[in-house]
Amino acid sequence: MLDRRMTQFNILRGAVAIFFALFVAAIFVFLTSESPLESLRYLLIGPLVSVKNGAVSFNMRNMLEVLAAMIPTIFTGLAVCVMFSANQFNLAGEGCVYVGAFVGGLIGVYWDLPPFIHPLVATLVAGVVCAVIMLIPALAKVILGASEMVTSLMLNYVMLYVSMHFLNFHFANRSRGATMTHDFRESARVFQIVPGTSKLSWGFIAALILTVIMWFFMYRTRWGYSIRMIGINESFALYSGMNVAGMIIVSQMIGGMLSGMGGSLEVLGRYNQFLWLSLPGYGWTGITIAILARNNPGAVPLAAFFLAYLNKGCMLMSTKTHVPSEMIDIIQAAIFLFFAAEQFLSGYRQKIVVKTTREELLKQGNADIENGGE
Amino acid sequence: MLEQLAEWVFQIDFLVMIFRITAPILFAALAAVVAEKAAMSNIGLEGTMMLSALFGFLFAYWTQSWLLGVLGAVLVGTLLALMMGFFYLEFKTDIILAGIAVNMLGEGGAIFLLYMFTGLRGNTAKLVSPNILIPTIEIPLIKDIPFLGEILSGHCILTYVAFLLVWLIWLFLYRTPLGLNIRAVGESPEAASSVGVSVKRVKYIAIAMSGALAGLGGAFMSMYYSQGWNQGMVAGRGFIALAAQAMGRGEPVGAMLTSLLFGTAHGLSTKVAGLPNVSSFLVSMIPYAVTILGLFIYAWNRTRKLRKRGIRRLTGI
Repeated sequence: MLDRRMTQFNILRGAVAIFFALFVAAIFVFLTSESPLESLRYLLIGPLVSVKNGAVSFNMRNMLEVLAAMIPTIFTGLAVCVMFSANQFNLAGEGCVYVGAFVGGLIGVYWDLPPFIHPLVATLVAGVVCAVIMLIPALAKVILGASEMVTSLMLNYVMLYVSMHFLNFHFANRSRGATMTHDFRESARVFQIVPGTSKLSWGFIAALILTVIMWFFMYRTRWGYSIRMIGINESFALYSGMNVAGMIIVSQMIGGMLSGMGGSLEVLGRYNQFLWLSLPGYGWTGITIAILARNNPGAVPLAAFFLAYLNKGCMLMSTKTHVPSEMIDIIQAAIFLFFAAEQFLSGYRQKIVVKTTREELLKQGNADIENGGE
Repeated sequence: MLEQLAEWVFQIDFLVMIFRITAPILFAALAAVVAEKAAMSNIGLEGTMMLSALFGFLFAYWTQSWLLGVLGAVLVGTLLALMMGFFYLEFKTDIILAGIAVNMLGEGGAIFLLYMFTGLRGNTAKLVSPNILIPTIEIPLIKDIPFLGEILSGHCILTYVAFLLVWLIWLFLYRTPLGLNIRAVGESPEAASSVGVSVKRVKYIAIAMSGALAGLGGAFMSMYYSQGWNQGMVAGRGFIALAAQAMGRGEPVGAMLTSLLFGTAHGLSTKVAGLPNVSSFLVSMIPYAVTILGLFIYAWNRTRKLRKRGIRRLTGI
């Protein structure tokens, strides 16, 4: 009884949080846009339907683009889920996406492998490289007691600049105007699921498969259990004989690996060369996704879809009605704050608990009376 | 190369530059110190600096007064910190997550708000005029001392404020009742509340002070350091400040010394970048890499000392 009501309460609370965030967004739209209602229409239903001459139709292309945009953020979302579950506030996912994309891209340019195997190998190698990089904050935490948060924040910049150095001085294609690598080999491309410009590649399927794997890992294996237990109560985990240090390291390595893989699949599925010149922001989006999913890998695709949808809505609003697309960050911050708020609507939750308990006591009381009457 | 570096370190313009580079990091590091004394990791410093830098500049532009601009930046910094405090203290949002949300606001929100208020995108180069930048001052007497005078005089007003604040914050934390309360709440909230200290109120005050200090750092960035607001301006200084706080053992003076260390690393990197055959990317990396190294050395020292006293950390190592 209580469980079911708590689920209902959580859904309600999420809805209220989203409503608040969108309300904040609406205020800003009214302050900036010349045609606020049109802007809001693009923001809220733009990705879903297109209106032409008064006729409303389902917008397939936009929806495919929304799905395509989920590929890297599902990976970073899963990565953050694992790390935050173990209470490891490692924020280097952002840099790992970049390094993973760079390494995956380089393998796509220089290694000679058969199709299908090629992107797979590139992505796995990118993942391993990033997992090894994550050893830096993880080992520093376990051996030295240095805060993984500060180390990982600094590491983001180090990863960006080292990659940029190699990109500019060793791997740049000098025949191009902008800084980028040579073209990926044909064999390294991640194939598109749907032909066209949506860029929805098989990376999407890979992301869904990894979601299932990570859910299984977190909820059905000993390691996953240890990781979650460390997050809930580290002392308990230690005194009940779990390898806390090892699991802290493993959780961060998995986080790095997933982020790196996401970066690699993203560039090999979307571009012809590696051409990122700044951090792409997917790592931070991953944190929002993990908060929305309450660190449950199973809910990550849904959260990723929600954010990709909002992002697309903001883009449409920006191109059609000139409201800057950076508005997504304001919406995201608002949703983030309310979702992370443990005690948001806690008064209402308390009422539910009290009401349910009273009902159950009453039921039990009635049953006792009946039993006593026999 | 090393000789070259040694030569630079003792040049007057380099020493002057170090003070300029250190000041904003120092403001943010002091902000981190005050928050951490009350047991709060203010990771939102980065976003707070970004937004207060923007609004400090805009207030200065609207009023054509740099002083009002600085006050505006402090106000915005305080409000953002109070928002973090509100979610942390009333809704039990993890303080780190609240900080990440503020950083998100700082990242894209600043660009959005700039457009909303001025119609500009990405930077405020068009709005800059000399009277809205924070002026520099010559200190009488000191400026006439050879060598020292050139290093110590002629800085921006806020640079002096930053170093003065090191002392003031120390006084505040160790010589006032409120400072004592902040430290008590940070070390043992139960003990503090058992003697009648309102933990919540003290934490609100600490986080608000932290935001105000970060606001000064933001104002310094947009109204002096980079002479106008632009997108990539803060560039991780809020995060570096967290490291400076940790390495400085959470004390104002320690934070000042580590801020100076990072300032020097940053200064050297801008100098080295001018040399031929040096990768500007690897040079840009130096301040961040030095921060990581410094953090590790500090943590290693602390762990060793704890171990000598027979204290082991939970992970069992």
